[in-house]
Amino acid sequence: MNTESKVAPKAALLTRLGLDRFSAIYLWVGFMIVFGLWKSDTFLSSATFKLTLGENVPIGLLALAFLIPLATNSFDLSIGAMCSLSLVVSTWLQNEARTGAVTPRDFNMPGVVTALIAIGVCALVGFFSGFVVVKLKVNSFIATLGVSQLITAIVLKTSDNRQITGAYSDTYMQWGRREVFGLPILFVYFMIIALIAWFVLEHTPVGRYLFATGGNVEAARLAGVRTDRMIWGSLVASATIAGIAGVMLSAKIGFFSSSTGPGYLFPAIAAVFFGASQLSRRPNVWGTVLALYALAFGIKGLQLVVGTGSFWVEPLFQGTTLIIAVALASQQGIARIRKRKAQ
Amino acid sequence: MAITLHIHSLSKTFPGQVALRDVAFDVEEGEVHALVGQNGSGKSTLIKILAGFHQPDANHVVTMRGAAFAIGDAAAAHAAGIRFVHQDLGLVEAVSTVENLAFGFGYQTGFGRRIKWREETKRAKQLLLDLGFDIDVRAPVAMLGAAERTGVAIARALQDLESGVSIVVLDEPTAALPGADVDRLFDAVRRLKARGISVVFVSHHLEEVFEIADRVTVLRDGQVVGTKRTADLTMDSLIEMIVGRRVVAESAHRVVVKDVAPRFVVDGLVGAGVNNLSFSVQPGEVVGVTGLTGSGRDTLVGLLSGATPRVAGTVTIDGEELPNANPRGAIQRGLAAVPVNRVRNGLLPFMSVRANLTISNVERNKRGWRLSHRDEKAEAQDWVGRLSVVTAGTEAPISTLSGGNQQKVMMARNFRLAPKVLLVDEPTQGVDIGAKEEIHSFVDQAADGGAAVVVCSTDSTELARVCDRVLVMYRGEVTEVITQAGGLTAEHIDRALLAGSTLAH
Repeated sequence: MNTESKVAPKAALLTRLGLDRFSAIYLWVGFMIVFGLWKSDTFLSSATFKLTLGENVPIGLLALAFLIPLATNSFDLSIGAMCSLSLVVSTWLQNEARTGAVTPRDFNMPGVVTALIAIGVCALVGFFSGFVVVKLKVNSFIATLGVSQLITAIVLKTSDNRQITGAYSDTYMQWGRREVFGLPILFVYFMIIALIAWFVLEHTPVGRYLFATGGNVEAARLAGVRTDRMIWGSLVASATIAGIAGVMLSAKIGFFSSSTGPGYLFPAIAAVFFGASQLSRRPNVWGTVLALYALAFGIKGLQLVVGTGSFWVEPLFQGTTLIIAVALASQQGIARIRKRKAQ
Repeated sequence: MAITLHIHSLSKTFPGQVALRDVAFDVEEGEVHALVGQNGSGKSTLIKILAGFHQPDANHVVTMRGAAFAIGDAAAAHAAGIRFVHQDLGLVEAVSTVENLAFGFGYQTGFGRRIKWREETKRAKQLLLDLGFDIDVRAPVAMLGAAERTGVAIARALQDLESGVSIVVLDEPTAALPGADVDRLFDAVRRLKARGISVVFVSHHLEEVFEIADRVTVLRDGQVVGTKRTADLTMDSLIEMIVGRRVVAESAHRVVVKDVAPRFVVDGLVGAGVNNLSFSVQPGEVVGVTGLTGSGRDTLVGLLSGATPRVAGTVTIDGEELPNANPRGAIQRGLAAVPVNRVRNGLLPFMSVRANLTISNVERNKRGWRLSHRDEKAEAQDWVGRLSVVTAGTEAPISTLSGGNQQKVMMARNFRLAPKVLLVDEPTQGVDIGAKEEIHSFVDQAADGGAAVVVCSTDSTELARVCDRVLVMYRGEVTEVITQAGGLTAEHIDRALLAGSTLAH
């Protein structure tokens, strides 16, 4: 049939250039070149580079948080709200330490402890989500959607729907701005967590069990995999990482407002799905990281070009790139299917 | 007899592989023509070309009733009156029989394009009755049994009989049908024959070929070995044509030591379809279980392995009781089960042969915290060699393997656990004859190694070949036990199956 001859060269060319599995790298290089030429003085500076690396850490962590349950074919839609929860808990505790509005006068808590409490609270929420999904047998999409609303209620009540500012000490904020080997420390933490996630998913039995649960949960269960524990555990893991994201955020911006957190859900998920089309062609850690920064540098470049009032740039970018990237990956899939049918 | 479909010089080349070479194949009017061959023989490729899923190479000669026929085009095949019932039936499980029949055929509509449900339901009911099936046509297909679903798929293929159906292709229709239902299917096939419609019948069940087919074409390695009248063939000569070497089915000669304590004991088992079942298996013994659908045979392995919960009764291995509804607990105590329907219950799609093979015990290749991919690959390679699994390597996706080789991977997964008890459910369903023999020898080896083996199957020949004794079940209970002493043959088993259904229970 004629479709075979029409489709084959196009698909072959795309595959040869590696456009199917490395489109994020191409995109990133493309952005660097375009914006490097367009706004070379501002874009190609180490300050911009470090800024972009650092400010995308919370989104990157949320992307990893989404990725882990996704391996088991579960969806954690509460990660944005949990990031918010972690932020409000940490900020509220620090605020209490300084102002003592609710607690006794000499209540004092070092930043590390408030951070751990914030993360711990999120982990408990994750445990609850796991309970709803595994024991009450509610679909994860719906369960985590419901949980996200419960958390939002808690967040609003805790903050009285107001901003909490000036809660953090200067030492805390300084810690958030330190640099290690010339890179922002938050980025280094992000890379360490990504490394751990990658190692667990690809190089431990647990990772194998997670993907098996996602591939065919009944077959995995019959083969002896503790599928309930995998799903439950993945939701606790995603909650914990979302909690860490909130702590990173507190170190970056130093205050709480109820609008921060939920807005990160879309770019995080966009990075995961864009990343899933990269490298190993299933949800994976480094593909997600590549996708995240390809998008981030493009957004930064466009923001510099547009100048003031560039708030619309980010959503436009993420929506467009996600559609193009996944469509490109699907094209390979469609071309392959057509080629098979034409044979 | 007049020739309906004539194929000559048909070839099909895939990159790196010649699937079909100069195939000549005729279908006469009103005949039942069986197409047989091992997996990899090209038989499925030929059917797919006819169905329009693949295109043949150029320079083929194909005519339909004398006129040129564009083979490799689904629309042309449909227009020429060729209908298909594929192995997976192609039904939408979530909707009813009425709706499944209407897909691709259309609904009768009344005022304002309203669907005439009452007429449609009556039509569907009648179509199924004509084939010998009395079912609730408004229930979702997911709730029907295997035989009934096959009936629906055939009814769907045949519903526009009036507008000129010339050939019906049945691709492994009896794969999931126990004895009595196969007879219903064959009655329907004979009725088609009486109306002058030809039937192309693809099957691994050679006794069915002799029962229903007029002629049989054998494919081997992409070429036609021959087309013969079934009246001119014997089972042995047919097998020789298929495999190319003499295959002698040797029945198991196993000396079972009786005064050793039984390894596997089932006591008072009650559960889905099973009613107070008790039996025991010695180490090194192979016990077969057979019965019609609904007799308890089809749900037994699930109950024993923990896939489905027991209502009552105990299952013990070497004296240790297995926890209820806990597959992992059972595996830890020495049980290994190969479930029926490997695609739904056994295989991990999108994952490699290696991952599928090792999933029951990934820890074995753990070095500290790390999973050693190198050690795991070596182990997988070893098992692939031991069971002669045909694959492009341990990293190949499991989906690229044929049914028989996927089943071998499932068996390897379980042998790797060195189990004390091995349960297999329909071990050679949808598997070609060469792999079938290999799988039977694996069962022999497992028993020789001291395992207690239970084989649930509807294939009487297989049971006769492999088992030391066979339990025949009917309505949840054992109605007969056939031992070597009492004559463990396929005929005896078939007779016992039929006898069970005439008992007044």
